[in-house]
Amino acid sequence: MSTPADAPRVELVARNVGRLAPVPRPARPVSWERRLLGWHSLLVYLFLYIPIVILILYSFNRSKQTAAWEGLTLDWYLRLFHNDLILRAVKNSLIVAVITTVVATVIGTLAALALARGSFRGKGATQAALYLPIIIPEIVVGAALVTFFGVAQMRLSLTTVVIAHVAFCISYVAIVVRARLAGFDRSLEEAASDLGAGPWDTFRRVTLPIILPGIVAGALLVFTLSIDDYVITSFVAGVGATTLPIQIYSMLKVGVTPEVNAVSTLLLLLTVVLIVIAQRLQQDPTAQGGIKK
Amino acid sequence: MNRNVAALGAIVGAVLVISGVAGLAGCAKKAGETLAVTQPKDAGKLNIYIWSAYLPQEVLDKFTAQTGIKVNFDTYDSNEALLEKLQSGVADYDLVVPSDYMVRILVAEKLIQPLDHAKLPNMANLDPRFLDKDFDPRNAYSLPYFWGTTGFGYNKAKLGALDSWQALFDPKNKGRILMLDDMREVFGAALKSMGKSENETDPAVLKQAADLLKKQKKLVATYNSGDFANILAAGDVDIAHGYNGQIAEVVAKEPEKLAYVVPKEGATLWMDNVCIPGKARNVENAYKFLNFIMEPEVNAEIVNGVSYASANVPARKFIQPEILNDASIYPSDEVIGRCEFLEDIGDTTTLLDQYWTEIKAQ
Repeated sequence: MSTPADAPRVELVARNVGRLAPVPRPARPVSWERRLLGWHSLLVYLFLYIPIVILILYSFNRSKQTAAWEGLTLDWYLRLFHNDLILRAVKNSLIVAVITTVVATVIGTLAALALARGSFRGKGATQAALYLPIIIPEIVVGAALVTFFGVAQMRLSLTTVVIAHVAFCISYVAIVVRARLAGFDRSLEEAASDLGAGPWDTFRRVTLPIILPGIVAGALLVFTLSIDDYVITSFVAGVGATTLPIQIYSMLKVGVTPEVNAVSTLLLLLTVVLIVIAQRLQQDPTAQGGIKK
Repeated sequence: MNRNVAALGAIVGAVLVISGVAGLAGCAKKAGETLAVTQPKDAGKLNIYIWSAYLPQEVLDKFTAQTGIKVNFDTYDSNEALLEKLQSGVADYDLVVPSDYMVRILVAEKLIQPLDHAKLPNMANLDPRFLDKDFDPRNAYSLPYFWGTTGFGYNKAKLGALDSWQALFDPKNKGRILMLDDMREVFGAALKSMGKSENETDPAVLKQAADLLKKQKKLVATYNSGDFANILAAGDVDIAHGYNGQIAEVVAKEPEKLAYVVPKEGATLWMDNVCIPGKARNVENAYKFLNFIMEPEVNAEIVNGVSYASANVPARKFIQPEILNDASIYPSDEVIGRCEFLEDIGDTTTLLDQYWTEIKAQ
């Protein structure tokens, strides 16, 4: 995810996650090439999912050590709900991720529309500036932001974390939505105004539904980026602003317990639910509009 | 109306509801509200930045009940994270807990303020052996919070009793040794095994130590400072160089299999210290808290809660005997006698850095 050319792929990934590995079932006898391809895909999927399966499995492990298996238990989930520090971190992470997603998606979508439709002076520079946060190493963004907050005398808090997240997330939304707009058939909008729809109606009933899958993909991407960001957050977090990744890192000194696996499993579940909803939404035939990719 | 817009609304709604529920659960759980995210701008608060698992919640609740001061605390995973936060100049922390060498850096960078000992009558409870150290003469800036040793944990069932650093350099244990990923500690182990001081500055001796460590690298399975105790407990290595606290925890689970030892040649003493940042806004509350945690019973409650050794003498009366008598937490005077603090070795650090890079890059 570092170049604009990758952007459409994000959407593809978002669409395919949650489906099982595609198993080809041709009627003809299977050629060895196809068989090889099948095995290859299987291995790729195993490579991707085995760590996650192990993470989930070990959240039910009775042993306190993350490396040894001692039998099944639900203890870690129960303890999780009594661990104020982790709960507080989850709460902070969700607050930041939700606000970031809403704000960054709105701003990013507007930016994408402006760049795709408008012609104004400095458009090229604006576009380049928009891609920059994706290319600049996170650690530089983090250091720059903390310097900025220092100069601006803004005390580090949850607010500074949200500002930082919105700042680096806008670019991702803009790029994903722009990719969707690239295949946009303007004649649909023209047809709408021919039929008497005003600009707002045209946007709401024609443009928005067509680019919505791009917006949702962008929003999901931002939610995920925000909820697991460590580097930038560690720079700009202040009093009471410990997010989940920071909490987990700070627990390293005394050893990570399966409580961390349990909380990761729950967050994974939340993400999967979101992706399934998003996918169903994108499968809706009306959502495809007249667009062919 | 369009199904898509409705569905997008549903997603946003679902996320809001879920986070709302999580938030409520978080808030409802703490009647004391000590973990509140936003706080009004009154003087009655204290923001602590500390290592994780260093401060039991009960102690904070007690402090709030006694003084009405609301305590927020955040945790960090390295001294460098703390340094970065204080350097930003906009972090609102009133108490921080750097390790010994970091105290020196924070003083040099003027990020912590001198302590007014007149406001800390309970300092009298502190063990003089842990005061007036090289990194902060006369405790002008810091007070000891926890201390411990850096020795090694090992599989006693497999290797028998060990008492010397030589085991970490023995080809017999090839591929079964874990070393801390920490330059000074690793050189410390090599120097101690040679019968030298960990603060040695003689280039010839350091060259010898570096050669020893280069040879040792073939025996080392991994360099790790985060998860060493778990790796030992899981059986992936038989010997793990590490800090006493985490190793004591896994030893306590399998006392017949694992053990922790401070080798007979001596080892490192480490100490984490409480300091008040230069830009703290609630300095008076910080002093109140410092005095509070030096009260014998409160201090014992902290030690009992997290199993690290404190420097508080009268607190020992209230510390659980199994902690007080655990030699890996409270080593005997004789053991402490052969240990030393890592000191500032000045320009020699550059030489060590160079050797360390060579060792790691090998």
